[in-house]
Amino acid sequence: MRVVRQAVLLLRSELRQELRDFELLLSAGFFTLVLLAMFYLSFASLPVKHSLPAVPAMLWLTIAFVGVLTLTRAFDREREADTLRALLAAPVERLAIYLAKAALCLLVLMLCCLVLVPGLWLMFPGGAAFAEQPGQTALLVLLGCGGYVAVGTLFAAGLATGGGKNTLLFIILYPLTTPILLYALATTRALLDRHPDLPGFLGQMAALDLILFALAALLFETVLVGAGVAHRPRDRPRDRNLSRKPAP
Amino acid sequence: MRKILPDLCLLAAMPLLVYSVHRVFLETPIERQMGTAFKIFFFHVPMGWLCMLMAVICGVAAGVQLRRRSAVAGAVALAAAELGFVTGLGVLLTGPIWGSATWGTPWTGDARQVTTALLWLVIAAYLLLRHYGPRSSDRLAAALAIFGAVNVPIIYYAVKLWKTMHPSTGVVASLPPEMWATFWPGLIALALCTLALFGLRTRQLVLADELDAAWVRLDDNL
Repeated sequence: MRVVRQAVLLLRSELRQELRDFELLLSAGFFTLVLLAMFYLSFASLPVKHSLPAVPAMLWLTIAFVGVLTLTRAFDREREADTLRALLAAPVERLAIYLAKAALCLLVLMLCCLVLVPGLWLMFPGGAAFAEQPGQTALLVLLGCGGYVAVGTLFAAGLATGGGKNTLLFIILYPLTTPILLYALATTRALLDRHPDLPGFLGQMAALDLILFALAALLFETVLVGAGVAHRPRDRPRDRNLSRKPAP
Repeated sequence: MRKILPDLCLLAAMPLLVYSVHRVFLETPIERQMGTAFKIFFFHVPMGWLCMLMAVICGVAAGVQLRRRSAVAGAVALAAAELGFVTGLGVLLTGPIWGSATWGTPWTGDARQVTTALLWLVIAAYLLLRHYGPRSSDRLAAALAIFGAVNVPIIYYAVKLWKTMHPSTGVVASLPPEMWATFWPGLIALALCTLALFGLRTRQLVLADELDAAWVRLDDNL
């Protein structure tokens, strides 16, 4: 509960910061629109038969590109002000930091999908099934973005604390997130084809998301601060000394 | 003994490799359905197994490196990744040649092909991060290697999990005795070669680390 409470507090702080200038949301939203326009200009004349397999690819390629932008910007803010180090030094569970950052990125991606999915539905006849099954479409997008963000947050945070180059995030993230994106692609095809096994596909995606979240949460603290110093803030000797009486 | 073990492995591998190539091309009968193209199996499968083994070694060593901050574990992980990259490249080159001859197309988007290619990409990303990343990126690279190792059981069971044209995991056990007798010498020869190179590269990386540390100590003393 303590972790959840801290994660909610951190997420509120992130959202407050975002609501001041809408930097993350505007840049990610604008990039989504640009990609959508580029796809429309390139593939508008596709017949229905061909647009059906193209729509899932456009959806998940856009999420992959916008996701990297979101993750990079989310941690660039911390890097510019060197606030991630301050956050790591604060008496906050590291898991709460991971959860808050992942939730923020997931929220931004989901808001971008509010533009992307209706856009694909309006622009391409192959995307008609999105409107017919809104609940399953929302669940599919949530699970796909969730898996992507689970891995992405870990590596974006690692690069932000290590002073790494942002270009490295592209190198790391795409090979690692390809399985979840491929799964999402196959599930989107199943949704557009009105496949009867769609709940099974969604269940497999949820299981993959759980594995990725668990692995990333397990590694987050060690990747960010290293094994030798990776212990809970409340166990730090400095904290224990505070309660001791000073030596005469 | 530990120092000469890689050299001994290489020495043992040389005649075995020659014997294995001799058996593959001159002693083993041509497979009825796939024809001469099947001979690539004797190189493709051992390289696939060795690639997965190296990915697992890399992941485990990376875990130890993260947990204990061990430089030796870091060297082991890097050496395993380099050999995993080479053996993985071998698998990805020989697979499409075999596929082209038997399926009529080099790439079918089959689950095992895709997962193997993804593992190779993760290994490549790991090497890029270790070589070009900032000093602190070792921890990040270690996490990447762990994710790569998680991919290995997915590759192994891909042929069971998804509908695929790729031969199943039991294909080696079902080989006729004359092919069985050709497969094992080749596998042992390639495994000895890989393990020898792995040992040599690990020792080289550990020595390079020690040399760096000695230079730093010398600089501090001056």
